Parts: sequence; C-alpha cells; structure tokens
Amino acid sequence: MREVVTVQVGGFANFVGSHFWNFQDELLGLADDPGADPVFRTAALDMDVLYRAGETHQGVATYCPRLVSVGSRGSLGSLSSSGTLGSRNVAAVDQPNIFTWQVMSGNVTRSVEKPHERNLFLQSLSEEEQNPSSSSHQNNAKKSAEDKDLVESLENGVKFWTDYSKVQYHPQSLYELHGSWTDFDKFNNYGTAREVVSEWSQMEEMNERLRFFIEECDHIQGIQFILDDSGGFSSVAAQYLESIADDYSNTPVLLYCVRDPVSHGSSRNQHETIIRSLHDAVSFSKLSSFCNLMVPIGPPSLSYLSPLLSIKDEKHFHSSAICAAAIHSLSVPFRLQHVGPSSDSVHSSGNLDIGELVHILSDQGRQNMVTALDVAMPAPSLTDRKDLRNIQRSLRSLTPEISDEDEDPYAVESLVFHGALDSGGQRASILQVKDTVCSALEGRARKPKFSHLSVSPCPLPIPLPFPSIFSSSIGQHGEILSTDHPEGTQPKGSLDVVSVPMAARLRSSNAIVPFIERRSASLQKLGMARGALGSQVLRDWGFGKEEVEDMGEHLAKMLRPFYPEMDLSSDSD
Amino acid sequence: MSLRVLNPNAEVLNKSAALHMNINAAKGLQDVLKTNLGPKGTIKMLVGGAGDLKLTKDGNTLLKEMQIQNPTAIMIARTAVAQDDNSGDGTTSTVLFIGELMKQSERCIDEDILLAFRIIYSTHPRFLVDGFDVAKRATLEFLEKFKTAVVIGDEPDRDTLKMMARTTLRTKLYEGLADQLTDIVVNAVLCIRKPDEPIDLFMVEIMHMRHKFDVDTRLVEGLVLDHGSRHPDMKRRAENCYILTCNVSLEYEKSEINAGFFYSNAEQREKMVSAERRQVDERVMRIIELKNKVCAGGDKNFVVINQKGIDPPSLDLLARAGIIALRRAKRRNMERLVLACGGEAVNSVDDMTEDCLGWAGLVYEHTLGEEKYTFVENVKNPRSCTILIKGPNDHTIAQIKDAVRDGLRSVKNTIEDEAVVLGAGAFEVAAKKHLIDNVKKTVKGRAQLGVEAFAEALLVIPKTLAENSGLDTQDVIVSLQNEHDRGLVVGLNHHSGEPIDPQMEGIFDNYSVKRQIINSGPIIASQLLLVDEVIRAGRNMRKPT
Repeated sequence: MREVVTVQVGGFANFVGSHFWNFQDELLGLADDPGADPVFRTAALDMDVLYRAGETHQGVATYCPRLVSVGSRGSLGSLSSSGTLGSRNVAAVDQPNIFTWQVMSGNVTRSVEKPHERNLFLQSLSEEEQNPSSSSHQNNAKKSAEDKDLVESLENGVKFWTDYSKVQYHPQSLYELHGSWTDFDKFNNYGTAREVVSEWSQMEEMNERLRFFIEECDHIQGIQFILDDSGGFSSVAAQYLESIADDYSNTPVLLYCVRDPVSHGSSRNQHETIIRSLHDAVSFSKLSSFCNLMVPIGPPSLSYLSPLLSIKDEKHFHSSAICAAAIHSLSVPFRLQHVGPSSDSVHSSGNLDIGELVHILSDQGRQNMVTALDVAMPAPSLTDRKDLRNIQRSLRSLTPEISDEDEDPYAVESLVFHGALDSGGQRASILQVKDTVCSALEGRARKPKFSHLSVSPCPLPIPLPFPSIFSSSIGQHGEILSTDHPEGTQPKGSLDVVSVPMAARLRSSNAIVPFIERRSASLQKLGMARGALGSQVLRDWGFGKEEVEDMGEHLAKMLRPFYPEMDLSSDSD
Repeated sequence: MSLRVLNPNAEVLNKSAALHMNINAAKGLQDVLKTNLGPKGTIKMLVGGAGDLKLTKDGNTLLKEMQIQNPTAIMIARTAVAQDDNSGDGTTSTVLFIGELMKQSERCIDEDILLAFRIIYSTHPRFLVDGFDVAKRATLEFLEKFKTAVVIGDEPDRDTLKMMARTTLRTKLYEGLADQLTDIVVNAVLCIRKPDEPIDLFMVEIMHMRHKFDVDTRLVEGLVLDHGSRHPDMKRRAENCYILTCNVSLEYEKSEINAGFFYSNAEQREKMVSAERRQVDERVMRIIELKNKVCAGGDKNFVVINQKGIDPPSLDLLARAGIIALRRAKRRNMERLVLACGGEAVNSVDDMTEDCLGWAGLVYEHTLGEEKYTFVENVKNPRSCTILIKGPNDHTIAQIKDAVRDGLRSVKNTIEDEAVVLGAGAFEVAAKKHLIDNVKKTVKGRAQLGVEAFAEALLVIPKTLAENSGLDTQDVIVSLQNEHDRGLVVGLNHHSGEPIDPQMEGIFDNYSVKRQIINSGPIIASQLLLVDEVIRAGRNMRKPT
C-alpha cells in the first residue's frame, strides 16, 4: 500500500474535492453495507491509500482523508476550520459574526454578518450522528420523502462547498488563508495574492499541515494536487508547489487545474482581457515548472458535454461533480491491489502508482507533461463487438482549448475503465473489458504509441448529495436505456441512479498544442514584445523583465517536443 | 468637474467632505481600539462564521482579523501593522495617536469655519502639517534625551529586560500569567543571543499543546518536535543521547533517471529490487556503524533526526540497533537542533564523523491522542530553545502565542536599542510639556497650531490608560502635568490614579517602538489632512457595500 496525499487549493478546487470525498465516503459505506451491491465489497478499492486512521483526544478512532484544503477565509460556510471532529455542536447558530467591520465615513458601523445556517442536509447529518437508531428501517417511507427534500434543497441552495460535504475532516486538514488587505471577492488574477504569498507565516503553516500528513506515510507514492487556477490561488499554489518540490524532491506531484465554467465569462474591456490572458500564461508557466504532470480541466461550458448529462454551468455544485467524478476515476489505478506483473486477478487489472503514471505519460513519446483529460460518464456498456469505437466516441474532453484531431503517432495514453456493464446490464468481467478495449484500439486508424489500461469492476457510487445531472435515459446502474427518449423530462439524481460505470483517459499528444501555444503567444505578445500592453501589469505583479523572459523561455521549451524541427534550429544559436 | 468628463462613473468627494471622511475614519478606528490599550484594557471577542472564537486585545491581531473596508481606515491600519512588523508592538498606540492627531486638527479647522462668518480666515491644513513636522522633529530629539540607556555588554541586566518584558506582556494577558511568561521570554532571548550578532527570534521554537492549563506553559532548554518515532520497538525515553541531525533519504525510491525495470520472472525482479534496496540499507548501516563506535560500552544512546523520510525496513534496522529515529523533521528545526545540541547537520552519510554528533541529556516522547511530541532536553550550552505553550483550548493558546511573540520582540528590541523609555504615559506628558514650553515659541505663525495639536495628541496615551482603568481623565492629566511642572517625571498608576515614578515601578517601553510611533503617525496624518479629493471609479462610495 502506498499512500497518496491530496491537496486542494482554491474555491472551485474545494467544490470538486468535496464531491470527490463524498464518493470515497460512499464507497466506504457501501463496502460495509450487507445490502449493497456485492461488487463494492469484493472489488473494494484500497481506501487506506487516501485515508488515514487516527484517534481523537478522547481516544475515539477516526478515519479521515489525508487532505490539506486551502481556501479563503469565510469559504467554509458553517463548518468550523478545526474540522468536524468532536466539535460539531460548537457552531452556535444564534451568535452574531463580527467578522466584517466597516468603518465608513462617520461612526463605526459594525456590520454583523449572519452566521451561516446549516442547510437541511447538514442538519440531517448531525441528527443522524446523534441518534443513529432513527435511521432504521421502520420509517423507510418517511425517510425517502425526507431524502427528496434534501436533494431538492441542495439543488437550489449550495453556496459553500461544505454545504454538501458528508465527510469528517481532520482538524489539520482545513486551512483558511487570510489576507487583511486582500479582497477575496476580487481574487481573480495572479497578482492579487502577493500579500498572502509574501506573508511568511501562512505559507509556513500550509507546509506544516502537509508535513503532518506526509510524516506519517511510510511510503508515499505521490501528491495529488487539485487547484482552482482561475485566480490568485494559482500564485499561492505555485509557491506551495515550489516548497513541496524542495522538501519532497522525489515525490511526484500530479496537478489538476480545475476551473468552473463561469470563470471563463466574457471580460468587460480590453484591460481585463489582457489581464486574463497574462494570468493564464503566467500561472501556467509557473505551475508547470513545479509539478510532474499537469491536467487542465474546465471547458468554457459543460452543458453540451454529453446528451446523457444535463449540467447547469452556473452552478458550482453541478460542474464540480463531473470534474470530481473524472478525478475519482483517474485515482482508481492508484488504489488497486498490487499483483504480479503479468497475472491478472478477477478484481482488478493494471494498477499504477502516481510515479508510474507520470513516467508513462510524460517521459515517453513526446516528453510532454501537460495532458488532456477525456471522460465518459456514464461509460457505454460493452455492446456489440461490431460497434468497436463506442467507447472511443463516448469520451468527451474536459480539457479546454485542445485540437480535435487525434492523429498523433507519438501519443501516449492511460485509460481507466471501471464498473463496466455488458450488453445485458450485468457487470462485465475484467477480461471482457480488456478484450473490448483492445479490439477498439485495433480498430483505430492511428493508434497511439503506447496505451495503458486499468480496469476495476467497481463503479462510481452516487452519494445522496450528488446533483441531479443525469438525463432520464439513464438507468439505476448507469446503463443507457435508450438515447431517443423524449426531451424535457426531469433530470435524474442520486435517488434514481445508484452507480454509474466510468471511463476516463489521460492523453499526452499534440492535441494539447493549442493550449500551450496560446499561452506562450500571449506572453510573447502582451508581456515581452517591446511596448507590450501588459508589461505594466506584469511589473505590478512583481515580475522583473528577466523573470518574464524566463517564463517565456519555459513555455517555448514546453512546445519544443511537438516541433522536432524547431529543436534543431534552436540548437544552432 | 473635470473628472466627470473623464469617467462619468467615478465617485468624487471634494474638499471638506474628503477631509471629514478621513478624520471620521481615523476617529472611528481609534474608537474601536481605544478600549484595548494598557494592562486594564478590555478584550475583544471575534466570532467566525462557524462559531470559532478568538479572544484578543492585541491591536495587531485585531486589525488583521477585522475586514476593514473604508479606504482611510485601511491606510491607517496598514501603517499600524507595519509598525508591528518593524518593532513588534505599538499597534494600538499608533492607531490612537493618528486618530488623535486627526481629531485635534479637526478642531483647528472647524473653529475657523465658525470665524469665517466675520472675517475671511481659515487655517489651511498645510499649516497644521508644517507644525506637525516641526513638532515631530523636536519630539524625536527630546526622545533621544529622555531615553534611559541600558548597558547591554556581554551580560545584560536581567532585571531591566524583565521589567521590559513584563510591561509588554501585562498589556496582553492577565497579570499572573504575564509574570510567569516574563521569565520565560527573557531567558529564551538570552539563550539564543550571540554576542555581536543580530538576534534571530526564529531560533526560539514556539510549540503548543492542547493540554493542561495556561500556567503550565514553560521554557524547554532544548527542542520540542511535533512528531515521534514511527516504530513500536524504539525506546520512548532515553538518557545520555548522541544526536545525529541529518538530511539523508532513508527510503527506497526509484532512481531518478528513468531506468525502467525489465524482467522476465519473479526471481529476476526480486534481484533488481534488492539491488536498489541495498543502497538504502548501506546508508542505514553507516549510521549504525557510527552508533556502535560512539556508544561502545557505557549507557549512551543514539538518536537520529532526519529531514527526509525513513521507510519501515530502515526503521526496523535502526530499531534493532537500538537507535531512536525520527523522520521528516521541520526544515527550520534542523538549524535549531544544531544550535541546541551542537554538532552539525549532515547531508550525506559519507562525511559523517563523531564531530557531527550533538548531545542531549534526555530525549523522551509524549503522546496526546494521536499527536506525539519528542522532547530533546538537558542539552549543553543551548543556543536555541523552545517555548512550550499549553492551554486547555485553542483560543487560550492563540492568545498566549501572540503575547509571547510580542514579549520576545520587546526583549530583543531592548537589547538592540540599548535603551528604554519610561512608560505609563510619563514620556508623553513630558514631551507635551517640552513642546508647549520650548518648541512652540520657536515657530512663527499658524504652524504653532500644528505644534499645539501635536502636543495635545500625545496625551492620548495617558488619557486612554486612565479611561480604561475607570479613572477620571481630567483629574489624572492635571495631576500628572502638575508633577511634571515641578520637574518630576511621573507616570500613571492605573490602580489608584496617582502619579508614580515608572522607574521605581519598573514600567518601561521600547525605545524603537516609541520612535517608530512618533515617526510614522504624523506622516500618515499629514497625508490624510492634505487630501482634497477622494475619487473612486466604478463603485458608489457613500453606500456601504
């Protein structure tokens, strides 16, 4: 067993993380539940990889995510930053919050913020905690009615990521950044975090939290880092990643840069457009130099992702769910039981650790460390052998700004397929899945240079606080009933769908070139060219001329593997 | 207005409105912090969104916790926090002083508005600012004369330092605890002090444990680490220990160059793995060899504290050799360990000799729930130490932590300034007298008003001290001034309201803190007074957001 430590930085990253941990919590619950699908018990993923066992001061055993979550102050909503352990009832509802003091012209006005009331879902959670007997089978009917209310209240009223989290966090896990002069509402570009980053004590504290979790790992396989890189948090993360690279030099870091669709919103004027482009370029350049594999996630709109899903872009609750599902799928291989190199077990195939994944994707073929993520949710069932490209076609890209062509002879990919169903709606065996995927691969016109496959029979469980994003043509176990269902029916949610099969793929190929190229070009044009419009912006963010040139060079270097001929010419000068 | 042409959305406040907004903001901020000054100041309770509590009377903490939105208030708060960053104390005083300067200026300006009905006569803020400038320079000169020099030399006078620390701590915590911390803080600074080198307060580790009571806070001469050994067979307590401080990876990891494994059967694979494993084992064996050499015969023990990881097989080997091993130590602790125990930190097992080892009389582990603490104590000649803060709950710990930090700074300041200033308001009253009696005459014209306002503003400190102690401000100020007129330097006894001699009572302030306040206060006040227009583009300013 090799541990993974998870880090979440930034607003949307925590939304994603909250869903991610809900999946894990659901898996834990299902593994112990005799009434659940046996596949969750027999094919259980090794949860110790992500979780840690500990105990509280009172000696109560705990099992918490190995997680450091960094957010801005006030982003925790009704959850106390000391986690939920032991102090759940402390949150006094009738106490005023004196956080915001406004000294406006004249008298001291104490604008007292209403404490955030816990929503229905959280209330029901803490109720259940206090009297577990109430959830017995007797009042089943009543309970399902209640569940409907809960789902509805979440659908309409999620403001904080903690609103739908059902996981108990360790007191060391949650960290709130506070910058006295930093306005976290306008924390939208690289420069805004300067104060936070320059304050030594906060970065130190974040490092300390991470050290706490890493120190107790016997053999850490890597760090999975989820970052909302749409704003100032990318500068915080860059600093964080730099010190991680320093302190844990041999630990691979897998970086997911998630963005919510709203953050792509059109900018009002030219100045903002410049700032946005520069932010993208600078944060990409900085972040990519301190991690081992980078996965940008977050297309401008998710609503057209698949006809089987109906995602509302404006709801973080919705858009984060699909990102979390994809990240969950990618983390499945890290948790599969390790078996011999060639032997296949019934329960899993193709385990990988983060280091191996990084090695496969970034060190072969193109030597490129920025990969595209494709996801099929739900994954199609393994129908007729003739329809070989079924899986291939159902994979939709979550990475923005990539080219559509899939013709790179040097492409390297890693596919994870879990919980697959066969045509009859039964769980497909590992072998079946492998056969299908292999023959699908054979059928492709241009095959990738290398492809890795991980398979597990364990599907993605849908926990209660999951948004209703499935179309009505999806069955209880995620099977696709018929695609030509009438439009306009209610989307299905966690009450109707119990689990879904998932496929996710990381792809390192020249499809990512436009993504990198755009950033490189905007840095050249706006930051480095003589009289560039954005050079003042970069200076305000604290970058000297040489530093900007370094970043430009770094980006150019990342493009080089895709243009071997360019490499030659640059060698000569 | 011309700006309207440039940007129709811009909000503008002009002339007197702008000035009054600034003045009001300064007064507002002053009102908030006023009650917290001095040993008798009250405490503020901050409640977070999820019910987290924070109790504090430290101006710096307060300013950082409050989300101030008024632009003027932000400017003042920034100055005050910068004050703290520079000298570690005096945040509240700075805010009070700026607020009072603005208040006094307002009086001058408003009086003229009344007069304006009859004659065209109004004091331009510029006159006040000029007066401030003169008064500031004069006060700083006076401070040079007024300060009490402290001879530091090789053996600083412990009593002065203690009095200094006590004055600071008592303004932050209740008296009993403050007195206890006084010794701790002074000893800590003296411990890490090296002659002829600036004091690096980072060498004092501040560790906290949620355990027992606040009065159990103590100074550990040595180091406390917040983790323990990760092997069940390692000793939990050892005496007479050699300490090896190192930064060597003792875990098996794939070589960094991408050498994939190529193997065709299990046996081959085993071989490959064991070959890679051997490198790590060799490093462990080197450490064990050294241990056997130095610990041969006798009841000595060996402790390894590593900045990098140690994996279970290595831990096993070390445990079997009777070595206690800790992994993933804080980076800064590597530096501290060497200062506390001696020896040096090694980065490779190759250059390891007996000289690299440090020494500690006692190493033991303390477990609290899942948290483990390792104490490295009884060291010879420590140059680094730990203040171990204990407290029953988080807010007590946070409060003590802030106080300790300020206490350490004040002791450090004293040593570096080689001077202290009489406290309890004595300096302010004396400086006022000096300004009114001697300086005012040298200034011509209306700048005199500025000097007067400045002198009056200085009194805010003793006034507030009196107010917070529930005394009558007028009485106190009058009696203090009387004493000063008679040539005695006295401060305020906040118990009785009687004048006292701060020297006798041992109430001192930091010279650098006072200097900083007098320097920065008038600057920011002058800038605010000279503002004639406030422009904010894009957002409505009069409506609170």
